[in-house]
Amino acid sequence: MSLFPTIKNAYRRLTWTWNPASEKEAGDAIVKNMLLHWFPNKVTKGSLSWNYSFYLGTISFVLFLILVVTGVILQFLYVPSVERAYASVKDIEFAVSFGWVLRAMHRIAAHLMVAVVFLHMVRVFLTGAYKNGLAVGAHRQVNWIVGLLLLIVTLLLSFTGYLLPWDQLAYWAITVGTNIASAAPVVGGWMRMFLLGGAVIDQGALIRFYVLHVVFLPGVVLLLFSYHMWRVRKDGGLAVVDHEALTEKPASAAPSKAKTYSLLGITNGTSVHVRTTEVDEEGDSVPSVPHLARRVWLVTLGTILLVFALSLIFRAPLEAPANPYVTPNPAKAPWYFLWLQEIVTVTTIKLGAFTVNGALVGGIILPALLLALAVWWPYRDRTGVEAVGVWFAPTRRRQNMAFLAICLLIIVFTLIGTFFRGPYWNFYWPWEVWPDMPVKF
Amino acid sequence: MNTPPARTGAAGTERSQESRRTFLQKIGLAGLLAGLGGLGFQSVRSLVPNVSYEAPLRFKIGVPAALADGVTFLEERRLYVFKEGKSFYAISAACTHLGCTVKYTKLQTPKQVEIDGQRRDVPFEFHCPCHGSKFYADGTNYTGPAPSPLRWYKLEMAPDDGQLLVDMGSEVERNFRLTV
Repeated sequence: MSLFPTIKNAYRRLTWTWNPASEKEAGDAIVKNMLLHWFPNKVTKGSLSWNYSFYLGTISFVLFLILVVTGVILQFLYVPSVERAYASVKDIEFAVSFGWVLRAMHRIAAHLMVAVVFLHMVRVFLTGAYKNGLAVGAHRQVNWIVGLLLLIVTLLLSFTGYLLPWDQLAYWAITVGTNIASAAPVVGGWMRMFLLGGAVIDQGALIRFYVLHVVFLPGVVLLLFSYHMWRVRKDGGLAVVDHEALTEKPASAAPSKAKTYSLLGITNGTSVHVRTTEVDEEGDSVPSVPHLARRVWLVTLGTILLVFALSLIFRAPLEAPANPYVTPNPAKAPWYFLWLQEIVTVTTIKLGAFTVNGALVGGIILPALLLALAVWWPYRDRTGVEAVGVWFAPTRRRQNMAFLAICLLIIVFTLIGTFFRGPYWNFYWPWEVWPDMPVKF
Repeated sequence: MNTPPARTGAAGTERSQESRRTFLQKIGLAGLLAGLGGLGFQSVRSLVPNVSYEAPLRFKIGVPAALADGVTFLEERRLYVFKEGKSFYAISAACTHLGCTVKYTKLQTPKQVEIDGQRRDVPFEFHCPCHGSKFYADGTNYTGPAPSPLRWYKLEMAPDDGQLLVDMGSEVERNFRLTV
């Protein structure tokens, strides 16, 4: 039994950073633990709050981790060749033990990540967290742009992954997507050639999308994400910290001791000393370990659990093998591009003899305008520091409403494209039965 | 950081508050480990193949009459099949050193070797081109780095169509003969 204290000591020496016994140990833990050094020593209670950020950024990172882990395992099982891709995915779904769970988790996490990254962007806008507070040297607008880039890369990751099963859903979704891209002026045709490695969607496209999906784009995410997190720290933490700094009441501090000087003898009363006030930061901050660590851990587990539970309910679909000669009717883009496809359909404009392709207007110009607007807005925002890190700040009311209106439109178009469009892109109520479309002509 | 706040009351109630928390912590930890362990098991088990696309180990090689007398080399299977009258046997061409395909080598002067306890003059043997291992006609390794003799595999008659059936999943002794 004299072994027991030794084991306890060894255990304590290995795990003390996760369970510090004092504030001093908590500070040490941040420096001495590789994972924990990501956190600041202390976080404000506002930063910790569930209701401020909803931990959406954390959730998207956890989803990315789930995608990487399931993705690497799937890489052992999937073959990126046009002759073998479909069969390998079918094997994953039906022959490989737990293959269906892996594939379902990968797909669910991918869809959730697109949604959560979008929601995170909405949260950042509505709390004015792209704005700088009183802190000197903050550049939150830059981080907002990095975030927009991360959103685009997330969409591209989802798009490149969509092709890999090489079934009808994949093939025609990418046909729609790459044809929209080719509508870009001047570079459009060349862009499509570059993406596809040719004029048609074939082996060249599959292997390019595969390498983009498993190597290049995840690498870009890691780079951008590292900068994104570093920038948050450089800017002084979450925007709510700036708001807390504004609303803190300075408290009277004990006068600091100073030497007492006198001329020729002893004087009465107090001498010169410094009267000061201080902002009670100590009261508003808590050590990251264990408080932030616990919450992040909870969010991690909750996200894994949610993805796993959804994977048990919703299996990943696998349609007929890709057939370039048979177009499904309707042929739809992935859901996160359906709002674009909806707009593309209605924006083909005829100006006399001249027709402007809807793919250009709705697919290129409109999203580019929205993106440009999003990039520019933080620099145009004229509201003051009182609106930084606050949900629905009164001075930002109009811009918040406008932003929400745009988001709502995007969501409405996505819903229409998903549930209300049938063959020939005709309007159908969700309960209406679609006519049987011929499979071969 | 983790010590629960001191509670007034009998020492007994203090103890039970603390032990309930640690009990729940232990259950939580056990549940967590079980969950993560399950996910980990799924991930590893999915990489253990259930289906093999490799060629089957049991295969037919034609009717006995169609086989030439002497040796037939099945290249894709790396197998030497021997026919001596009505007697058949099969020797693997995989060198037991590191797996190269051994060559059937005719000898200028037949060698006298002991096979199945009999001394015989045999006009051929097997040579491995990779590291110089040499095997007698019955597969016995006699020089070079090969540590063991060439494997012999079972031959059967397929009951449905009378073809010779090789079973590379069953190894047999060096005195095995299929007599038809």
